[in-house]
Amino acid sequence: MIDRASPASPPVGRVVATELKPATPYQFHFWTAQETTVGIGAIVRVEEQSKGNGEGGRVVYGVVTDAFAYSDLATPLHDVIGAEGDPARAAEAPTVRQEIRLWTAAVLRQIPEEPLQPVPLGRVLVASDADVAQALRMDAYLTGAAPTGIPIGLYTSGGLESPVYLDADFLLGPEAAHLNISGVSGLATKTSAVEFLLASIFQHFPVHKGKIAAVCFNVKGPDLCFLDQAGTLSDEDRRRYERLGVAPRAFERVRYYAPFKADGVNLNTLRTHPDLAPTVEPLVWGLAEVLDYAEVLLNRDDIDAKADAFIDFLSDRVLNRDFEDGFGGTHRVQSFADLDRLFRAIIGGLEDAGRSDMWRTHHIATIRKVRNRLSNISTRCKGLVADDGQSSDLPWGAFADRTAYIVDLANVDPLGQDLVFARVVSKLREHLERRDLGVEAVVVFVDELNKYAPADGPDTYVKKMLLDISERGRYLGLVLFAAEQFRSQVHRRVVGNAGTQVFGRMDMDELATPGYQVLSPATKIKLATLPIGELMIRHPHFTQPIFVRFPRPAALRGRDGVERFPPAADLPFAEAVVRQLVRLDRGVRPNLVKDLIADRDEVDVRRALAAVRRARPDDVTAYLRKALGSRVAVDAPRARPVVPPLNPISEEPY
Amino acid sequence: MKLAHLADLHLGFRQFDRQTPRGGNQREADVAEVFRRAVDDLLVQRPDLIVIAGDVFHSVRPTNSAILFFFQQLQRVRVGLPDAPVVLVAGDHDTPRSLETGTILRLYEALGVHVAVETPRRLVFPALDCAVLAVPHQALAQAERPALRPERGGPTINVLVTHGKYPGVGEGRGTDDYGGALLSRETLAPEKWDYTALGHYHVAHEVAPNAWYAGSLEYLAPNPWGQLQDEADRQRRGKGYLLVELPGARVTFRPVTPVRSHMELPPIGGSGLSAKELDARIAEAVVKAKPAIDDQIVRLLVWDVPRAVGRDLDHAAIRAYKARALNFLLDLRRPEAPRVEASGAPGRRRTLPEVVREFLTRRPLDADLDREAFVRLGVEYVEQAGREGAT
Repeated sequence: MIDRASPASPPVGRVVATELKPATPYQFHFWTAQETTVGIGAIVRVEEQSKGNGEGGRVVYGVVTDAFAYSDLATPLHDVIGAEGDPARAAEAPTVRQEIRLWTAAVLRQIPEEPLQPVPLGRVLVASDADVAQALRMDAYLTGAAPTGIPIGLYTSGGLESPVYLDADFLLGPEAAHLNISGVSGLATKTSAVEFLLASIFQHFPVHKGKIAAVCFNVKGPDLCFLDQAGTLSDEDRRRYERLGVAPRAFERVRYYAPFKADGVNLNTLRTHPDLAPTVEPLVWGLAEVLDYAEVLLNRDDIDAKADAFIDFLSDRVLNRDFEDGFGGTHRVQSFADLDRLFRAIIGGLEDAGRSDMWRTHHIATIRKVRNRLSNISTRCKGLVADDGQSSDLPWGAFADRTAYIVDLANVDPLGQDLVFARVVSKLREHLERRDLGVEAVVVFVDELNKYAPADGPDTYVKKMLLDISERGRYLGLVLFAAEQFRSQVHRRVVGNAGTQVFGRMDMDELATPGYQVLSPATKIKLATLPIGELMIRHPHFTQPIFVRFPRPAALRGRDGVERFPPAADLPFAEAVVRQLVRLDRGVRPNLVKDLIADRDEVDVRRALAAVRRARPDDVTAYLRKALGSRVAVDAPRARPVVPPLNPISEEPY
Repeated sequence: MKLAHLADLHLGFRQFDRQTPRGGNQREADVAEVFRRAVDDLLVQRPDLIVIAGDVFHSVRPTNSAILFFFQQLQRVRVGLPDAPVVLVAGDHDTPRSLETGTILRLYEALGVHVAVETPRRLVFPALDCAVLAVPHQALAQAERPALRPERGGPTINVLVTHGKYPGVGEGRGTDDYGGALLSRETLAPEKWDYTALGHYHVAHEVAPNAWYAGSLEYLAPNPWGQLQDEADRQRRGKGYLLVELPGARVTFRPVTPVRSHMELPPIGGSGLSAKELDARIAEAVVKAKPAIDDQIVRLLVWDVPRAVGRDLDHAAIRAYKARALNFLLDLRRPEAPRVEASGAPGRRRTLPEVVREFLTRRPLDADLDREAFVRLGVEYVEQAGREGAT
């Protein structure tokens, strides 16, 4: 919380202006004593001397962007001569040279704001809590009947720690929305910052703005796999949490989704420790779910009107209908297996007939191409795409408030990752448009944005979708939180549409790219050496970038999580089925289930399991038995009576 | 191994009020006769296994004649093919609705026929190295269905025999029978079987290369005319049973010569024709019919026949056709009601004489009347009445 009762501090400097370095409405210079707490990124307050008529003078807030130090030495040669060429004797000079600490600051805010004038030559003070709030214009959204502040971190300078808040309207829409975070990888800054910010949002998102949820795609390692488990925090972190008004606790409501491995029963995630595995829901899609997003499967060379038209034809005229292939066969396509049968019938029919390469205006080459792409997805993403048409999905229409939905795709084929991303985001958009998702706003967190929306490279379906969210998502409540290592390599429109931009430690090469020209050399140096836990933030209310520190996330970090909850080895088929059922009903008797599925075809068991998951019945075992179907024991036919040469029936019935 | 697949015999099915010389229903006798012919062919083809996929009888309580006849024919089979097992499942038509009703199908166990009426049976025939899972309608209709899967480690050849409705089959023309238990590709899993013998749909139809409906042996309800069209779609004509070579499921359709034909005469467009003209066209269609309509089941569709024209047709001649054929269905279809524009539609409102002229131009008239003179006279009268009213 902002401490408004801080005592007035003594001035630390004074504004200076010369002909060569004048004070302007947006920049000024000031000097300080050599021993000072002021540094790059510090916020200062300039007070104009009070006028004689009793009115207070102008107050200007600025942030230090550059620093200089020099003495009255005319040239470096004078110093050499003074020390007689011996650096050891330089300290023996009879007089101490005058030195100056000169600072350049960018104006954050002037009060009054009109008329806008050059910064007055007043005294400079270190900003207090209240000053920071004023300087960053946070007073506009931290006060009033419906405050919308979301704590992001602590501004620290000279022992002062002031909470910095983002405006929920500008972070989560409808005003600007979206957040982009960049920084070198391996320091856990990006993921930690997003975890902390999501926790902060869930605790501080204003009730009057409705319900909010987050969908996070875990695309590498165990990063987001343990958000519901408490991590270790230092006292320093706890103190920062307290200062920011955020409770240091793990996420209370998290739901995990992961596709199966190729065996169809073991989940493809690192969250497989027996204590945690029951909380992971399978993510499985059938043909209908995939075909709607078949464009994702096509690469740039494939995208043509013909393939598109054929896929549309399959969706509109073939899927879930009785369809005659023109060669005497009727098909009802509900699964990949059915579709493959249709393809075989068409291609075989054309080859047998040998009269034409065209089938219902589609060329056989187009048919082959679409077939290859579709069968590719069912092979490469076997655990995600069910061959038998059964699906298990996110709870569309029943999203819960302040809940994180983690979709773990870390070990999924890149093609599958694209497909999941495209479909989940499209469905979110669809439901948000209809206002029937269950929440009013959804934060979608995507890591490795370089990969999904690169500045150059082909125009993929996923890239188009990210552009669409960036440009139009805020009207719907669909907010993109994206992270990447190199901001310069991400599509400009995706980055440019992010209202809030966060920077962790940056690579110097990256800072040399044109996107960072607005930063002073000193700021760039600070960015290049930024410690873990510190960020630079740009937000629509802040006229200049601000450095803040944020506490370590209260949730267990991925790599600590895999140590505390080591992933279990893949279970044998029967055990894995039991585990899936136990997740639904702890009263399930493993031996009974094993007896039920013994000697059954695994495909049938998987289908029955999917039926149980969908129905979530009270009696899981009974439902599984019903879904599997009863066994029919062998009925050894009795020895057939030899039919005697019966007397012919005496009369013809007809 | 050679398997014979029959289904939907519907013995005891009755239709039309024609009687045999012995006083029985002629169609019932027809249905029995085609089954007798099928048995004749079976005795020639000598299959190793015979399966009947449901609806042996048309009702739970068939006629005594039907019961007796089926017994007689099964006896022929058992005597003629003593080593060929016969497996029979109950379909929706011959499944009793309550337990106390009992089933006549049990009677045939006395002949050594394997019957499944309420519960499924897995029958193993070591001599054939074959197992048959016989699943009656009742087993599919209950909440807890059997798993339609072969037993692991069983014989080499696995056959499924069942009776039910496969989605989409026969829905287009209403040729699927009502009341069948719903099947699907997942429940049937044809790829797991050497052959799946299905009953319920009355047209021979391939669900998968190794899963077939055999179809009925006669054109029965529902919509026999639609069944003819379904057959035309599949480029096959006629009824019969299937002979299947296993393993490999090479299916051969064995046609059974019908007792009489279902004849669809070329349809007539009746628009603008007077009753006399239409009578002439109908007579021409009947004369040209090949074979002649005598004792056949005939349908003649006539389109766009107004009610008045239909009333004025030569009903004596039509009765004569009906007497010749076993059944002659003259299917008169009314013209589609002309769309009347609602008020506010663009265009000029017509005058009364114009309306009368249009009406008289299309009103049916006796053939000896001169329509032109009739219309002119009618319009003159209306115009005259209008003039007199104005003065």
